Amino acid sequence: MNKFFTLTLLAFALAFTSCIKEEALNAECDITGVDSTWLQAHRTSLIGLPIITNDYISFSVQKGTDRTALDPKFYLTPGASISAMVDGAATPANGITRDFTTPQVYTVHSEDGAWQKNYTVAFNYPRPITVCSFEHFALDREGRYYQWFEMDENDMDNPRRDYWGSGNAGFKLSGMAQQPSDYPSSPDPLGVRGNCLKLVTRDTGGFGKGAKMPIAAGNIFIGEFKAAQAMVFPRKATRFGLQLVGGEPIWFSGFYKYTAGEVFTDVELKVCPDRHDTCDIYAVLYEVDPDKFVALNGDDVLTSDRVVSIARIADPGEPQEWTFFKEPFVLQPGKAFDQTRLMNDGYAIAIVASSSRQGHYFEGAVGSTLYIDELRITWSGEDEPTPALPQN
Amino acid sequence: MKRILFLLCLAMGLMNATAQTGSENQDHDFNLLKAALKGWHVRLGAGFNLGGTSPMPLPRSIRAIDGYNPNLCIAIEGAAEKKFAGSDFGLQIGIRLENKGMSTDATVKNYHMEAVNADGSGEIKGAFTGHVKTEVDNRYLSFPVLATYDINNRWRVSIGPYFAWMFDGKFTGEAYGKDILNEDGVKIGTDAYIRDQNPTGEKAEVTRATYDFSNDLRKFHWGIQAGGEFKAYKHLSINLNLQWGLNSIFPSDFGSVTFALYPIYGTLGFNYLF
Repeated sequence: MNKFFTLTLLAFALAFTSCIKEEALNAECDITGVDSTWLQAHRTSLIGLPIITNDYISFSVQKGTDRTALDPKFYLTPGASISAMVDGAATPANGITRDFTTPQVYTVHSEDGAWQKNYTVAFNYPRPITVCSFEHFALDREGRYYQWFEMDENDMDNPRRDYWGSGNAGFKLSGMAQQPSDYPSSPDPLGVRGNCLKLVTRDTGGFGKGAKMPIAAGNIFIGEFKAAQAMVFPRKATRFGLQLVGGEPIWFSGFYKYTAGEVFTDVELKVCPDRHDTCDIYAVLYEVDPDKFVALNGDDVLTSDRVVSIARIADPGEPQEWTFFKEPFVLQPGKAFDQTRLMNDGYAIAIVASSSRQGHYFEGAVGSTLYIDELRITWSGEDEPTPALPQN
Repeated sequence: MKRILFLLCLAMGLMNATAQTGSENQDHDFNLLKAALKGWHVRLGAGFNLGGTSPMPLPRSIRAIDGYNPNLCIAIEGAAEKKFAGSDFGLQIGIRLENKGMSTDATVKNYHMEAVNADGSGEIKGAFTGHVKTEVDNRYLSFPVLATYDINNRWRVSIGPYFAWMFDGKFTGEAYGKDILNEDGVKIGTDAYIRDQNPTGEKAEVTRATYDFSNDLRKFHWGIQAGGEFKAYKHLSINLNLQWGLNSIFPSDFGSVTFALYPIYGTLGFNYLF
């Protein structure tokens, strides 16, 4: 009987395994990275690492770099191929020389031939962060959520600078949003001037709860959101800071208003009656290795020994009307600003705002709403910021 | 459900009692009963179901079956059979209370999935690469209608359709990833990810996501049953049947599992023949 049982089991196991079909060709068509040899060869003109999203790659290059003839080379999904339109014909394009005065489009084709995806590749001169008015935003490729960017008016052929990250791409995976305004980060037309940014702590529903990420704080930051890592390393996925430093930062200022949600919950979605939500608005200057950029992230952005100075609203409260804030960058113990380091692109700056201060640990109150507008970094030598809006 | 089980247990208990005592009086009663049934013979049986609820054939997106557990699946059946006059053929109609279940652990690549969360507020759709654990435990009241053929006094084969009503079903599982470690043993990611909508969509690595499609299961099932039976003693036979489901356990418009899943189970059991 026992033997019979074992034999039958074995027969089933065999039946299953023998039915496994030959593996299908890869259906994915990603640019997975930039060729390391190529990067090494261009390290004097490149600043930091290229930012690679699902359909966009941007290189930051030293001002004055000739962009008319560049030949970037990419790593692709195994089996995939890359092409570009050259003189009206699709041409194999990995490593070909193109004019990047304006961003160029590449098409990646999957190994199985069933899928293809366009990537826009741009080489940008960095534009140090000054006033952030959140006037420039666009829907993502699928038209589901907003992304914000800055505009470099000195580079009219290629003005878009994707300096802002938000957790929206991660929230998408909760399936909870029906429209762009359901996302944690969305634009709002009633800014101090023009549009502002509205950050709301959202419920992530059943999927979020199952993944031990029951809420999503509305957030925005200078840096890169690695959606691919959002579920595995939610704090590491928020890579704060870019090498966009225009000098020694002195002041971080802007406008905000805030209302905390009513019910504060922890990571298990347990109600914590004695806790009250608060927002977080801060800017951080930190040291980077110009040859090997590693961003600070949600785990260490305020605690790393690379942090040089922090400007943060300690107790933002809950102002119901637009409120001006002005926080000095406070040097951390043993740190000083070094002009030589600045010249070598050895600093990065991050601006971070969140509708729930402990949102990166999934603690907060659903419904907490933070509005921000006209954020500004005042560099050494510039006028002290005032609530009066600059004329433009 | 409990009542049916109770009645069946009672019947089995009675059967045992009569089998053990086996007095003349009871033989007499049996003969009376047999006469009343006009050539129909009654039997009670019990057995184990062993098998899988599986797509046929396995889709390409399933790359490996890493684990399989048949779980404990029991079938209890009462049936009536009648042999046609002057023939080795006969007809057997039964009622069977059974569960069909299993647990599997599979590796998948580019596996299309759609899921709606418990309160219906959220929906995700995409192509998943990674590992999927599934647990199935469906309880049925089945009605096999079989043609029988007696090869000799001891051996009988049978074949025919069965119709089943699923009164309780469970289909749960999880999509998960295994940690990827760097050379220092530090976790750098997982080997599972979902791509939003299709293989070109945003990629997100997955640690673990559970699903429960129990409420989406189809209630009515049917299929073909075929098997053989060996009459070991006058009142006892051993049988081995195969039940091949011919409709999927999910409705055809169910998006979360894009291929049909058929219950295919073998039953090893014994029967008490009155």
